[in-house]
Amino acid sequence: MRLRAHPVAGALALAVVGFLWVPILAVAVNSINQNSLMISWGGATAHWYARALDDPNVRSGLTTTIEIALGSTLLSLVIAVSGALWWRRASARARAVYDATVYARIILPEVVFATALFFLFLKTHFPLGVAAIIIGHSVWNSAYAAVIIQARLVGLDPAIEEAAADLGATPWRAFRRVTFAALLPAIIAGGLLTFTFSFDDVVTSYFLGGNSATPLPLVLFGMIRFRITPEINAIGVMVMLFTVTLMGVAVAVFALAGSAGRGRRAALAEFYGR
Amino acid sequence: MQAATAIRGREADRGQAVGRRRLTGHLLVVPTAVWTLAFFLVPLALITVFSFGTENLVTFNVDFGWTVSNYAAFGSALYVSTLLRSLALSLGTTAACALLGFPLAFFISRQAPRTQRVLLACVIVPFWTSFLVRTYSWVNLLQTDGPIDRLAFGITGHHLEILYSPASIAVGMTYSYLPLMVLPIYVALERISPDLYAAAADLGARPWRQFRRVVFPLARPGLIAGIIIVGVPAMGEYVIPEILGGGKTLMVGNIIVGQYLDVGDYPFGSALAVSLMVILMAMLFALRRVQPAVEAR
Amino acid sequence: MSGESSVRLSGVEKRFGELVAVRSLDLDIAAGEFFSIIGPSGCGKTTTLRMIAGFERPTRGTVEIAGREVTGLPPYRRPVNTVFQSYALFPHLDVFENVAFGLREAHVPRAELRRRAAAAIGLARLGGRERARPSQLSGGQQQRVALARALVNRPEVLLLDEPLGALDLKLRKEMQGQLKDLQREVGITFVYVTHDQEEAFSMSDRVAVMDHGQLEQVGRPEDVYRRPMTPFVASFVGLANQLAGRITGPAPGGRYQVDLDHLGRRRAHGPPGLAAGTPVSVVVRPEDLRLTPAADTQAGPAAATVVDAAFLGAHRTVRLDAGALGQLVAIGQGQSAVAPDDKVVLSWADDDAWAVPAAAEDEAAENGAAEGEAR
Repeated sequence: MRLRAHPVAGALALAVVGFLWVPILAVAVNSINQNSLMISWGGATAHWYARALDDPNVRSGLTTTIEIALGSTLLSLVIAVSGALWWRRASARARAVYDATVYARIILPEVVFATALFFLFLKTHFPLGVAAIIIGHSVWNSAYAAVIIQARLVGLDPAIEEAAADLGATPWRAFRRVTFAALLPAIIAGGLLTFTFSFDDVVTSYFLGGNSATPLPLVLFGMIRFRITPEINAIGVMVMLFTVTLMGVAVAVFALAGSAGRGRRAALAEFYGR
Repeated sequence: MQAATAIRGREADRGQAVGRRRLTGHLLVVPTAVWTLAFFLVPLALITVFSFGTENLVTFNVDFGWTVSNYAAFGSALYVSTLLRSLALSLGTTAACALLGFPLAFFISRQAPRTQRVLLACVIVPFWTSFLVRTYSWVNLLQTDGPIDRLAFGITGHHLEILYSPASIAVGMTYSYLPLMVLPIYVALERISPDLYAAAADLGARPWRQFRRVVFPLARPGLIAGIIIVGVPAMGEYVIPEILGGGKTLMVGNIIVGQYLDVGDYPFGSALAVSLMVILMAMLFALRRVQPAVEAR
Repeated sequence: MSGESSVRLSGVEKRFGELVAVRSLDLDIAAGEFFSIIGPSGCGKTTTLRMIAGFERPTRGTVEIAGREVTGLPPYRRPVNTVFQSYALFPHLDVFENVAFGLREAHVPRAELRRRAAAAIGLARLGGRERARPSQLSGGQQQRVALARALVNRPEVLLLDEPLGALDLKLRKEMQGQLKDLQREVGITFVYVTHDQEEAFSMSDRVAVMDHGQLEQVGRPEDVYRRPMTPFVASFVGLANQLAGRITGPAPGGRYQVDLDHLGRRRAHGPPGLAAGTPVSVVVRPEDLRLTPAADTQAGPAAATVVDAAFLGAHRTVRLDAGALGQLVAIGQGQSAVAPDDKVVLSWADDDAWAVPAAAEDEAAENGAAEGEAR
């Protein structure tokens, strides 16, 4: 049935979408605002971007954040992929336990994780810092990655590995050439997602950074609490552009790889050497 | 004879291969198991145990007296009010997200596929930007003499003293969590075949009745999933009330952080964290009963 | 079957942007008729049905149901109910609530609602399964729920959009018989859309053949089969051997004298008013084509070689290569004697030949070519 556009829902929908974008646009606009109090428009300037790029705190924050994000992503992917592969052959009860822990790691507030881990490290005299943050992030990051990778794995036909075996492939080669190849887009997408989450994280980093590690979000957080300046906006815009680009790539990779069906066919085609 | 041996040999190989595969299969769960145990379950158990101890705030010596004094302290007005405020804010945020998000998700689901993708992108892309920065942006937007205040002043002649009040936290949270509400509802709506709308109309139902009798019941699981994904984490929110509450309006998350990192009363902080977890599990349990099956993956 | 009109489409046209799905259609369906619309995919039959139901609005023309104009009315205001191809059962409601859906919308009082719904469920032989969810039912059972859900509302017209498509062959045949009986029992007009010509024939009082948005022919199944008006109808409604030729003049008994390519003069029936010189396609149905084994010396224009003889249980289908006459088909018991590579001579009775005007021949060729391309 060709429905006419819903006027009420439509108006509300567009208003909500506007609501979602206003703060972002405000940040962007103010990042070039000469008026440092950002109460009114003071003319355009790139001054704040220059300040941000020169700020040594910002630069060290950035390097720390990238270190942490890379480490956490790697760790999370290893955990998520191995777990998803195990899940395929696991019993229903084992699966239920696994699913519950994944769900819990996604739903529970970060504050709870962070305090618990902080406490663990305190009592075991594990030093707070980059390593601690990486561990902390990967506890919940691995759950997000697991959901994405699992969804993709579930869509794959289990018969493709059997087909590969039937054609003479050892289990390892079957896995590598067929399953892993089909899984790769989900791994990339999951990895980019976890990278973005790590990049943006405040609470866990706050608890587990100690004195030695101050990733960029914490630098920002400190600046936000103590002074308001458009430099924050400039940093914010740059960070936003970066994360949006990353996620855009993730979506593109996922979409290009196509549906599970196409991925399966492509994997099979590759396997036949065509 | 040779053939028979060869066949038996190959069968033995396959048996070995299966055995090997089973072992590797089990090995695969080790990373997840180790991580979940060591860094998720054990720490939670630890703070639970610790929450029953007391700490001397001068000497920082902890005494495991198995006391419930930490939990008893919840009775104090400050904590009760903070807890209630957190509940109220979480509820309010969830309600606002549902009221704003459902029509949006519905509208998107009724559009042509290409339009759907564009609209979804408009909803999701903000989510990919630094939520710290977006929250911070609200400080500027909500402050006295900020753009919103000036608009309100122009219309009503009064200033909105909204910044740092619970209302500003609610705005910030609704804003941040909205995409999380829209997505599961959209997924549930999108699954509804257009034939069902047609069948309902064919059987005499006008558009509103179609919605009430067919669309909404089928979208309900998505709505409940959204309520869970928004309501539960919202209770434990820290950053948003920190920035938009300005130290004047506190939620449970702020107090926990305060106890741990400022005051140093670890047992008490643990008790708070544990209680928060228990409350959330209870909420989760209640909500899951309303929606028996989690959306199939 | 009373004489009054149940559904009338006048000058109905439907465009989707540039695409013309239905061209100026005039259709008059009588009350109590079992009326089928058949045609290949994309011919516009489903669009036509949807316009009767109210899911599509005609770009031009009017739709009347039981004498009342309904062109602008939405589906929930028309005295019409639809059985969907996908059944469209509400997954969150059980069988009883599905069937009672329309009754609830009409605010039928509770006691009557229960009674009518129970009766419909009983008629659909689903008694005892009122509390089952659609997902727990078999395809055939779901189909019957969809039927009951529509009929319980006592519509003027029941529309069925390829409702048997998802069922296996045996079940289909069974359901076809049941639908026919049901229609006779209930007495309301059925408008049935399908691409399966045999299915439509087995149940319908009248059949409409559509192609590329155009109504090609309407009539009783036997009329459409024995007296097709266009080459398309001839080949769509069953297998047809088509032999090209020209009308040379009239012949006794309302027939025509036809000069067939390669075969010379024959007589054939045809629609009235065909002038001499009209190019025609003479249709001989496979069951009317007779084969006699040929002695080697008997070559000649009516000779053919057997390509394949398939035994189909009830009869044999023989495919023939008839040289200049093309690929032909013969069906019947008498063909049991032939085997591949046998040489046979073709013959048929004059009464079994029907001349279809091939003035649309170029158009048919275009259509054929276009269809080939589109595929």
